[in-house]
Amino acid sequence: MCYSNEERDELAVLLPEEVNGWRPAEDDRIFDPETIFDYIDGAGEVYRAFGFRRLFARHFAKSGQPDIYADVFDMGTSANAFGVFTHDPEGKDVGIGQGSKGQGSLLSFWKDRYFISLFAEEETEESKQALMAIAHEVDRTLERTGPLPLIVSYLPDENRIEGRIHYFFNHLILNFHYFVADENILFLDENTQGALAFYRWADSTYPLLLILYPDVAKTSEAHDNFIQTYMPDAGASDLIQTENGKWTAARVKKNLLIIVFDAPSREEAEKKLGEVRLK
Amino acid sequence: MKGKFFTRRDFLKAAAVTPLAGVLGSGLKVTAADETANKSRVVLIRDENALVSFKKPNPEVIQQMLDQAVTALLDVSDPVAAWKKLVKPEDIVGIKSNVWRYLPTTEEVEGALKKRIMDAGVAEKNIGIDDRGVRRNPIFQKATAIINARPARTHHWSGIGGCIKNQIMFVPRPADYHGDSCADMATLWKEFNLVERTKLNVLLMLSPQFHSVGPHGYADRYVWQYKGIIVSPDPVAADSVGLRIILAKRLEHFGKDEPLETPAKHVQIAETRHGLGISDPSRIELIQLGWKEDILI
Repeated sequence: MCYSNEERDELAVLLPEEVNGWRPAEDDRIFDPETIFDYIDGAGEVYRAFGFRRLFARHFAKSGQPDIYADVFDMGTSANAFGVFTHDPEGKDVGIGQGSKGQGSLLSFWKDRYFISLFAEEETEESKQALMAIAHEVDRTLERTGPLPLIVSYLPDENRIEGRIHYFFNHLILNFHYFVADENILFLDENTQGALAFYRWADSTYPLLLILYPDVAKTSEAHDNFIQTYMPDAGASDLIQTENGKWTAARVKKNLLIIVFDAPSREEAEKKLGEVRLK
Repeated sequence: MKGKFFTRRDFLKAAAVTPLAGVLGSGLKVTAADETANKSRVVLIRDENALVSFKKPNPEVIQQMLDQAVTALLDVSDPVAAWKKLVKPEDIVGIKSNVWRYLPTTEEVEGALKKRIMDAGVAEKNIGIDDRGVRRNPIFQKATAIINARPARTHHWSGIGGCIKNQIMFVPRPADYHGDSCADMATLWKEFNLVERTKLNVLLMLSPQFHSVGPHGYADRYVWQYKGIIVSPDPVAADSVGLRIILAKRLEHFGKDEPLETPAKHVQIAETRHGLGISDPSRIELIQLGWKEDILI
C-alpha cells in the first residue's frame, strides 16, 4: 500500500526525533493490515481484528542503551483504539492519554483514534525514563480525545472489577477473553459493538457480555441462535443452570443482547440483567 | 456455518465427567485407531553450560548436546552415523530456521546442524538456511530433506510457537492459517509436502519464553535459561513436550495455574484432527538426558 507524504507525516509528527539521546536507528516504516506480519508476527491478528488502518514504526537507538521500538497504530476510530488497548490488561496506569499502562520495558496508551506502544529491549532506569518521555511527547502532540464506544456506558458499575472491560466486534477476540463457542454464534461483525466486563460476587467473579446490534431484528436473530446453540435445554426460558452449577441467562432489550455467564445464582443472574439500562 | 458448534457448555459437560478434560482446549476425543498407534520418541537434553550469556549459546556445548540427543533418538552411538540415517549425500537440505529478533534460532545452532549434515556427506552447496525467504530460496524449493529448528515461546495468537508453526513460512499467505487460534495449522504440513521431507524437529528450550506481552509479544523477564534442546522426528510430540514445560514454568512463576492467553489447541488438534503426530503425553516416549535441576517435567 502506498501513502502520500501527508499521510506519512501525519503519523511521523506524533513521535519525537530525539529523546534523552535516543535517535532513529533506521528509516521509519509503515505497515498496513496485509504487511503487519512482516513486523509483529502473529499478534498482528489482534490489530486486524480491531480494524487497524496503519502502523507507523520508529526504531530508536542510543549507544550503551537498549533499543526502543515506538509503534503508533492508527485504528481508524477511538472505539477501536480503546478496544485494542483493553485487549491486553497487564500493567499499571501511568496517567498518559485516555488510558495507559506500563510494566517494565513496555508502555502503551490510547488517545483519539491512536494506540501507541513503546517497547525497550531491556529494562533500564534510562530506558524507562525514555519511554515515559516519548509517551508524554505523543500525548502532548495529540490534542484531540475520542469518545468511548457507546456500549461501554451500558455496563453496570456495581461490583464491576476495575480494569477488566474488553471492547470488541470480533468473536475471536471475545473468545480470547472468555471462550463462548468455536463459531461466531452471536453474529459479531464490524456493525456490532461488544463489551465484556467481570463482576465480583463473594470470592468469585463472573462475566457480563453486552452486544449492540444495528437493529432489533438482528438482535433477536442472535439471541435465538445463542439460545438454540448454547442452551437448547432451556426450553422456553432464557435462563439455565449449567453443568458447573452456575447460571447463564440471555435477554434482549431493543437492539441490545445481554448475556450473563456463570452467575452464582438465579437471583444474581436476574439482578445483573436488570441492572443493564439503555441510555 | 456448520451444524454442530463447540461451546463453553461442551467444556462444562466434559469437565463434569472428567475434571481435566477441558484443559487443553479442544475437547476432541482420541479415536480408537489413535489409541493403538505407536508412540513417538522425544529426546530432551539439558546442559548447565549451554549458554555463555543471556540467550547466547555456547557453540561447542550445543554441538555436544545435539550429538547426544540425535544419537539417543536414533539408537546409534556415533553422531555422524546417526545423521546419515536422517540425510543422504544426494539430498538437498533446508535448515528451516527462525529469525524472530528476540529469540532467533541462532547461528550457533544453525552451524551445529549444518556441520553434521555436511559430515553425513551432503555438499555445502546443497544446504540452505532460511526462514522468511524459504519460498524464494532455490535450496528450499528443491529440498528433499528439511531440518526444522526454532526456539519455543508463547505466542499471542496460537498459544505457543513451536515446530508445527515454524513451517508456516512455506505458505504464501500465513494469515490464511490464523483462523480459530491457528487450530488447523497442521494442515500446511500436508499441503506443502512437509510431512515426509522434514527429517528432524529441533525445539530449542535454551531460553524459552513463557509469557507474551505487548504488540511484539516479548519481554526479557518472561524468558528463562532452561538450557535444553528437544529433538524428535514428530513435530507434534516435540511441541507437546515443550508446551508442558512452558506451562509448568508459568505455574511456577505465577504461583497459580495461569492459562495461556490463547490455548495452544493447535498442538492437540494436530494429532486428533489431522494425524500429524502425537500430542498425548502417555504415548510419548520421553528420553531425558543431562542436567536435571528445575527440569519441570
